[in-house]
Amino acid sequence: MDRRKFLRYGMTAGATMAAMRLNPDFFFSSAFAQEARPLTILSAENITGNWDPMAHTTLSQFNIEGFIMGFLTRSPMMPDNPDEVVYELATSITQLDPFKLEIKLREGVTFHDGEPFSAKDVKATFEYGAQPERARQVYPGFADTFEVTTPDDFTVIVDTTKGGYGAGMFVFLASYLPIMSAKDIEAGPNGPLSQRLNGTGPFRFKEQAGNDTLMTAFEGYFRGAPKVPGVNFSFVGDSTTRMLSLLNGQADVIERLEPEQVTTLESEAGIVLNRAVSVENKYLWFRCSKPPFDNPLVRKAVCHAIDRSVIMEVMGTAGEPSSNFVSPIKFGYIDLENYPEYNPEECQRLLAEAGYPGGEGLPDLEYITSTGFYPKTKEYGEVITAMLQEQGFPVTLNVMEVAAWNERLYDRPGGGPGHMIDCGWTSASPEPDLVLRTHFHSTSKRICGIEDPEIDAALDEERDAPSIEARRTSLQTNLMPMLADKVPAYSLFTSVLMHGVRADVKDLFIYPDGTMDAASAVRG
Amino acid sequence: MFIARFLARRLLQGALIVFLVSAVIFTLLRVVPGDPVRLMAGGMAPEALIEQIAEEMGLRDPIYQQFGRYVWGIVQGDLGQSFVRPASGAAVGGASFDDNTRSERAEVWDLIAQTAPMTVQLALLSMLFALIIAVPIGVWGGLRPGRFPDKLALYLSSIFVSLPNFWLGIVLALLLSVKLKLLPAIGYGGFAYTILPAIVLAIEIAPFIIRTLTVSVAGVMRENFIDIAAVRGLTRNQIIFRHALRNSSVPLLNLLGVQFSMLLGGVLVIEFIFDYPGLGLLTINAVMQRDFPLIQGIAIVTAAAFVLINIVVDLCATAIDPRLEY
Repeated sequence: MDRRKFLRYGMTAGATMAAMRLNPDFFFSSAFAQEARPLTILSAENITGNWDPMAHTTLSQFNIEGFIMGFLTRSPMMPDNPDEVVYELATSITQLDPFKLEIKLREGVTFHDGEPFSAKDVKATFEYGAQPERARQVYPGFADTFEVTTPDDFTVIVDTTKGGYGAGMFVFLASYLPIMSAKDIEAGPNGPLSQRLNGTGPFRFKEQAGNDTLMTAFEGYFRGAPKVPGVNFSFVGDSTTRMLSLLNGQADVIERLEPEQVTTLESEAGIVLNRAVSVENKYLWFRCSKPPFDNPLVRKAVCHAIDRSVIMEVMGTAGEPSSNFVSPIKFGYIDLENYPEYNPEECQRLLAEAGYPGGEGLPDLEYITSTGFYPKTKEYGEVITAMLQEQGFPVTLNVMEVAAWNERLYDRPGGGPGHMIDCGWTSASPEPDLVLRTHFHSTSKRICGIEDPEIDAALDEERDAPSIEARRTSLQTNLMPMLADKVPAYSLFTSVLMHGVRADVKDLFIYPDGTMDAASAVRG
Repeated sequence: MFIARFLARRLLQGALIVFLVSAVIFTLLRVVPGDPVRLMAGGMAPEALIEQIAEEMGLRDPIYQQFGRYVWGIVQGDLGQSFVRPASGAAVGGASFDDNTRSERAEVWDLIAQTAPMTVQLALLSMLFALIIAVPIGVWGGLRPGRFPDKLALYLSSIFVSLPNFWLGIVLALLLSVKLKLLPAIGYGGFAYTILPAIVLAIEIAPFIIRTLTVSVAGVMRENFIDIAAVRGLTRNQIIFRHALRNSSVPLLNLLGVQFSMLLGGVLVIEFIFDYPGLGLLTINAVMQRDFPLIQGIAIVTAAAFVLINIVVDLCATAIDPRLEY
C-alpha cells in the first residue's frame, strides 16, 4: 500500500465514523422548543454521588430531594409566620405528654416504586436517620435515646423518655427529614438507598446523566399529578453561564444570583426575581480547639474589629442584617442585646486582656474562604481581612475554589485547617438546633471544634425544656446570650436567596432554604 | 514499505513522548498541594482514617512505585477509576468521611470516551469555521502583498487575536442566543449546541491561519514556476488554485495539525463558559476535585492524540509534496 492509498482509506473510514455521529434532529427540531418540556433548574453546587438522604449535608442534593421525597410536614417559614407548619404525609401531630408525640399519617400514599406508605416507613426513617454514623444525623439524640412505636399502620408514637428531652423536638424536625421506604432501609446502606432516590413526592427519579439529575412527573402523587412533565436539575458551576441560560430560555430557574446579576435581570421583561430571607446565616467560624482561638477573648476581639455594616454594603441585595446565630425565620430568634458589634476600643481592650496588646504576639492567622458558590465571599473576605489587620491581627486571606475549600471546611482532630473559615449553614426547618446543636455541642462541633461544658449544658437545657414556650425562653435568655459571649463562630448576616425564574413559569414555590415545590407549577 | 517503516518509527517516538508526558504529569500531581484522599473521604474525616485509606490505595508509596503500577495498568488498557466521580459521571463532592455507601466509581476510560467525541466534534467544527473565515482573507491578502487585502488581513488578524475568548463567548451568547434566539448556547442537547462555541474558537484560531496563508501564498507567488506558468498559457485561476495554493498548503497543514491538537486539550475556558460537556469541562472539574487518575488519563489521551494527529499531518504533507521526507 502506498501512502496516498493509505491516506485515502483512512479518510474514508474517518468520514464514515463521523457520519454515524451526525445528529439529524438538528435539521428538523428547534433547540428552543417550549411545549411540554421539563422544568430546567440550574444549581450552583454539585452533588455527592450517593443518593442516601442521610449520607450528606449538601444543599443541592437537599433541593433534589425536595422534588422526589415526601416529608411529614413542610415549613414555608415566611417572615410573617415563621412557625407555620403545613401537613404533608402527616395529618396531625399531637403532643400526648412532654415525652410523647403522636403522629397521624395520610392514607393512600405510595412510594415511586409502588410500595404503599405507612407507619413502618416513618419508624424506619427515624431510626435509620438517628444512627451516629449518618452525616445528616440531626436528632436531639441518637437512636438509643428515643423509641418509635406504631400502634396501627397510620399512627406513630415517638417516646423520648429514655433521652430525657421533650418529644416536641420532633415537631420541627418533621419538615427536615425526607421519609424513606422501610424496604430500602432494610436493604442496608449499600442497597438501593445509595443508588437512587425513592420517595412519595411529585417527581420520580429517572437517572443521573452526567451533571443532570432527570426527574419525571409521578402520576400517582397524592395531591394529583404535576402539570409539568418533569424536572431537570443540573449543576452549572459558572454564574454567568447560569444567567445566560435563563436569559435565552434554556433554563427556567437559576439560583444564587450575584447582586450585579439582580440588577441585570430586573430589567428583563421575561424574568421574575424571587427574593427570600433564607434560613441560612453566613458565619466566620473560629477554630476553637487550637490557639489563639481557643481563647474566647481573642474570638470576641475579632468580632469587635469587624464592621458588619460595611459587609452589608458589599452584599447589597444578597444579605439581610441579623444579630443572632440563627436566621430571623428560625424558632427562638431575637436580636441579641450582647451580640458583638464593631468597637475598636473594646477589640484592643480584649486583645490586651488576652495577652496580645495591639495584636503583638499573635501567630500568623489564616482565614480561608471560597469563591464561586456563595455570593461575594471573596469581596467581603478582603474587607474583613483589612479590618482585622487594622486592629493588629496578622491575618492572611486564602481564597479557594469550592472543592479545595470544602476539603478544609470541617473540624478534625487537632483542629481544622487555618484559623478562621467562611461558611453558611441552612436547614429546611424552623428548628434552631439544626444549627446550634450541630455546631456548638461537643458531640458534633462540625466546623469550629468547640468543646465547652457550659454551652453543652445550655444546649441540653433548651432541648429538655418541658414546653415550647419554656424552650423559647431558655434559648433567648440562656443559650443564645451565652453564645454571643463565647462566640465560637461569628454570624455575619442572614443570606437572602435570590432566584431568577422565567416569567412563564407560574405557581412554583421556593422555600427559604432553596428547596422548591413544583407540584403545581405550570408553564403559562 | 515506506508506510510501514514510517508508521513504526513515528509510533515508537510517540509512545516515548506519551510515556514522558505521563511521568511528568504523574510526578507533578503528587507534589502539588491538595490531598485527594481528603476530598474522597470528606472534610470531617479524622487524619487516621485519611492515612488508612491512603495506605490502602498505595498513595503513600514512593512515586516511582505508584508510577510503575500505573504504567502497568495502562499497558493492560486500564486507566484506573476516578477518585470522586460515580459511574453516572456527575461532578460530586461533600459526602461524609465514613460513608461506605458511595456509588460505584466511574472508569477513567469511560469518562474520557463519553466526553472526547464532544470535544472532537467541537474542534472539527471550529476548524471548519476557521477555514471558512481565514482562507478567503488569507489567500486574497497573499495575492496582493502590501496592498489593501494584505492590510485588511493584518488588521482583521490583529482584531481577532486581541479578543479574549471568554468575553467573546459571553457577548456572542448574549447576541445570538439571548437577543436573536438563533442558537442555543449552554450545555449540549444536539449538534446546534456546538455551533456557538465553535464560532468563538474559530475566531481565536483564524488569525494564525490568515497570517500563515498570507505569507506562504505571497512567497509562492514570487517563485519562478508561477511566472513560467503564465508563459505556459495557464489562466490566473489555474495558476492560483492548481499550483500556488497547493504549494502554500504544506505550512498551513502543519499549523492545522498543531491547532487541532491544541483544541483537543485546550478548550477549557470555552467549554466551561458554554457548559459544553467535553474534555475541557471534564478537565476543569477533575483539577478542582484533585481527581488524579482522571487528570492523568486526560493528559495521556490528549498527548497520544497530539502524536497521532502529527503523524497524520506529516503523512498528508508527504502526499501533497513528495519531496518531503520525515
